[in-house]
Amino acid sequence: MWKKIFLVCMVATLLMLPGEVFAQREKVGWVGPVYKELSDSLMKGFKDFYKRTYGKEIEITFIRPGGWPVCVDKVRAWKGKPDADVFLGAGAPAFEVMDKEGLLVPYKPKDWDQIPAQWGGMKVKDERFIWTCFSPWIVTNLYNERVLRALQLPVPKTWQDLLNPIYRGYIVQTLPYASGTQHEVIEIILQSMGEKEGWAYQRYLAAQLDRFSTGSVDTTHMVSRGEVPIGIAQPQMNAMSARADGYPVRDLLPDKTILVPESVGLLKGAPNEANAKIFLDWLFSIEGQKYVLEGRYFPARKDIRFSALEKEGVAMAKHARDALGVDSFWDLKVGFINYDLDLATKRWDEVNRFYEYEIYRKWRELKSSLALIEEVEGEINTAKRRGRNVASAEAKIQEARRLFAYEGDYASARLTATEARQLLVSSR
Amino acid sequence: MQKSNLVLSIMLWAVVALFILYPLSFLIIESFKIAETQTYGIKNYLDFFKDPYYLKTFGNTLFLSLLVLIVTTLVGLPLAYIISRYRLKGKVLFTALILLPIVLPAYAGAFALIVLFGKMGVINLLLTDWGIVSKPINFLYGLHGLVFVQSLHLLPFIVLSLSAGFTNIDPSLEEASEVEGANGFKRFFTITLPLATPNYLAGAVLVFLWPFTDWLTPLIFGQVDYLPSISYINIAYHFTDMHRKYMGIVSVVVSAVICVGLFLASKYWVERKKYTSLSKGTTLEGRIIQPGILLKVGSYVYMFLIALLVLLIPIVLGLSAFSRRWVLEPFPTYWTLENFKLIFIETPGLLKNSLLFSGTALLFGIIFGLPAAYLITRTHTPGKEALDFIITLMLAFPGIALGVSYLLAFWEGIPLATHWIIMPLSLFVRRLPYFLRMAHASYLQLDISLEEAAEVSGATKLYTFFTISLPLLLKGVFVGVVMFFIMAFQEISTAIFLYRGGWETLPIGIYLNWHRGMEFGIAGAMAFFMIVIIFILLLIVSKIGGGILGAAWGSSGGRY
Repeated sequence: MWKKIFLVCMVATLLMLPGEVFAQREKVGWVGPVYKELSDSLMKGFKDFYKRTYGKEIEITFIRPGGWPVCVDKVRAWKGKPDADVFLGAGAPAFEVMDKEGLLVPYKPKDWDQIPAQWGGMKVKDERFIWTCFSPWIVTNLYNERVLRALQLPVPKTWQDLLNPIYRGYIVQTLPYASGTQHEVIEIILQSMGEKEGWAYQRYLAAQLDRFSTGSVDTTHMVSRGEVPIGIAQPQMNAMSARADGYPVRDLLPDKTILVPESVGLLKGAPNEANAKIFLDWLFSIEGQKYVLEGRYFPARKDIRFSALEKEGVAMAKHARDALGVDSFWDLKVGFINYDLDLATKRWDEVNRFYEYEIYRKWRELKSSLALIEEVEGEINTAKRRGRNVASAEAKIQEARRLFAYEGDYASARLTATEARQLLVSSR
Repeated sequence: MQKSNLVLSIMLWAVVALFILYPLSFLIIESFKIAETQTYGIKNYLDFFKDPYYLKTFGNTLFLSLLVLIVTTLVGLPLAYIISRYRLKGKVLFTALILLPIVLPAYAGAFALIVLFGKMGVINLLLTDWGIVSKPINFLYGLHGLVFVQSLHLLPFIVLSLSAGFTNIDPSLEEASEVEGANGFKRFFTITLPLATPNYLAGAVLVFLWPFTDWLTPLIFGQVDYLPSISYINIAYHFTDMHRKYMGIVSVVVSAVICVGLFLASKYWVERKKYTSLSKGTTLEGRIIQPGILLKVGSYVYMFLIALLVLLIPIVLGLSAFSRRWVLEPFPTYWTLENFKLIFIETPGLLKNSLLFSGTALLFGIIFGLPAAYLITRTHTPGKEALDFIITLMLAFPGIALGVSYLLAFWEGIPLATHWIIMPLSLFVRRLPYFLRMAHASYLQLDISLEEAAEVSGATKLYTFFTISLPLLLKGVFVGVVMFFIMAFQEISTAIFLYRGGWETLPIGIYLNWHRGMEFGIAGAMAFFMIVIIFILLLIVSKIGGGILGAAWGSSGGRY
């Protein structure tokens, strides 16, 4: 009987050896964090184009070992002998870092001029041709309209709205080092409010959270499922994608935000460099950009109009127009902040570390501290209504808030709140 | 000291050196690197012990591990006894069923439970619709949810190892105690349970160390401050912050060494006693009792309840596989075959890779694992404890760490990573402890005098192994084989870092489809497919294996 098992295994193994022995076929490889709809769509489009133009089949491989920091780590581990040709996806900071580490080489795709150089003060492509944006998007938040309606909550329109206590426990976000988008949200807040107010804001927002998700995709899933109705830090096309699939979610363009230029770059030492360049040229052609849209990402070319594509039968064009409310991505009116990319890149780790040490690690303490402050504030207000003199207690509780928000000293804030309560009790 | 043992030891060490020590050295060296100064030292380790946060998360994880171990033991003990002792119909089917949760990558199982038990999940929506509750009940988000999910996931390890232990016990021992007047409970706690200790320990360590590598489930259930989540995020998402990465490795190394050390200490304490039996009983299926009607009904009810819990995940996946937009509704309303259409083109290739990789890994596992278990239990070769320690360490090492170090070690220099063999190799290394522990436990129950008798009669060591040891070890080994195969089949965190285009496995396919808009259905269909495949495989194996499998799982249908 063991012989039987062994025989079956042997035969099965022989039948199943991977068909690797392709004779000198044309190849191109992508690595990057883009969603599967996009990689599928681009594969279909580019294979088709290649066959049509060169009369040959091309074999395309796409690997996505994880989120973009993991993708960058994968490229690093290849040590200059990459197993892919093109880094597909991720915003400017990823490319800036890979460039600094010498992992990329410049390439100027044919229709490079069709991509705007900058928008709202932000770079859309690199003037040294290290990276070029093939699909722009804006950092947004996401909400589930059905659940918000059921909870009888209004839609939060600004960053400040999110701090309203009515949303407590109804917001989800991930960690700034697990997601570039989340990191950028923190940077947006820091740069638009100033560091002091920005960190205070983050502390208050953390107290509103139901939980931290494992990544921005997890956030999207949680919101579209309705588990948590509001999700922070979402790529803009996620709402379009979810709505196209029939989910009751919408994106929230917050009052202050930035552009993320989802980009491509050519890897140094690319084994199929010639084909990679053909792919990059194609990606920025009108045809390539159509497949970008079919892959549920917004096209980056200036000359693309959704209405025109809709007439040509590009199914996603309608959804894109519905989601954005304009005919070209670049027609969007957005409350951009004056974003300093260099500063953001420089202090990337520092911001993450600060968030980790001061907010994430102390999350429970932070929440209980704020809860106590709010409790005592409620007591003070009641006492005030009853005509008691609460001046000293009020001063104390303000001090507690200051300690909470600006010092991040949650223990002292609790202590001070308790002192305020004692002052209130002894002031009768 | 016999020469052949030394040769064997050297061969095993060579494998360990090349496939465990060499790649991991890349990581371990990094844990001594000081990011600010680019020099080496023990500063990172000092940082770890000085930082109360790491100690707190370590404590939390330890606590979680203990809770999960207690829950799985309490639930699993009666189950294992029922499976291995009572003559009941449908036991093989049931044993195959309880394996299902571990077949899936953690996130797919957890997500299915959210669909069911989440705040907007089926149960809560039904309860709200019926007006029983006004606010959703929090079934999942908290420590209770975490313990529930991990226990459900890990239950088979305890049940399988315990039932292998129970079956291995010579019936005459229990019968003797009965003759002496020990009643059921007394017999169970004085004879049966103690004799099954080595097997229980083998399962317990798998359960105990699991929460130290599962970084995702705590986060999915809204729990912060667990060490694996911290280490994983630090290693995977360090980006440019090298200190973050080094600290991630440090926390993995420290917690792995402490936990595995604890385990091995308890193991040696246990092994001072003797668990072997000479006669090996009369049947391969061990002792079988015909239960009374009350016991029988009770057993069926118990099995049914557990099966129901276990089946929830495949049912949810099945429903979502045939539907779309199943959200905010207790049951899907939009039925479609679209999901299957979409995955149909991809799946055969993925399945082929999965079978090839985990099958090859299994082959490596058996070739390496049996001699290793022999060396550790049967010989006094110097360094065997170290061998055991290093292999067991892999249980507490997160997959991404192994993936990164494998790519660093085998991309340049020894370019193994350019060949698909790297996939089964890494699976073999990562899942080896599952096999080794089971084989090891079985060896402990086998009296050495049986082998000695054969050798005295003139049989060679190899001949003895194949004619005496292996047949007697089969039960434990077979359980080990099944565990190993399933764990290799569902492995993702190492594979996802190592795979090249065309090497995608089923779990990688599920992961990639996960990141496909909001449609859970597509990934759900693939996960459902994966469960069905494994289930069919288990049934085929039990058909081919017949008596052996039945015996391993204590089937009443054992025909030996």
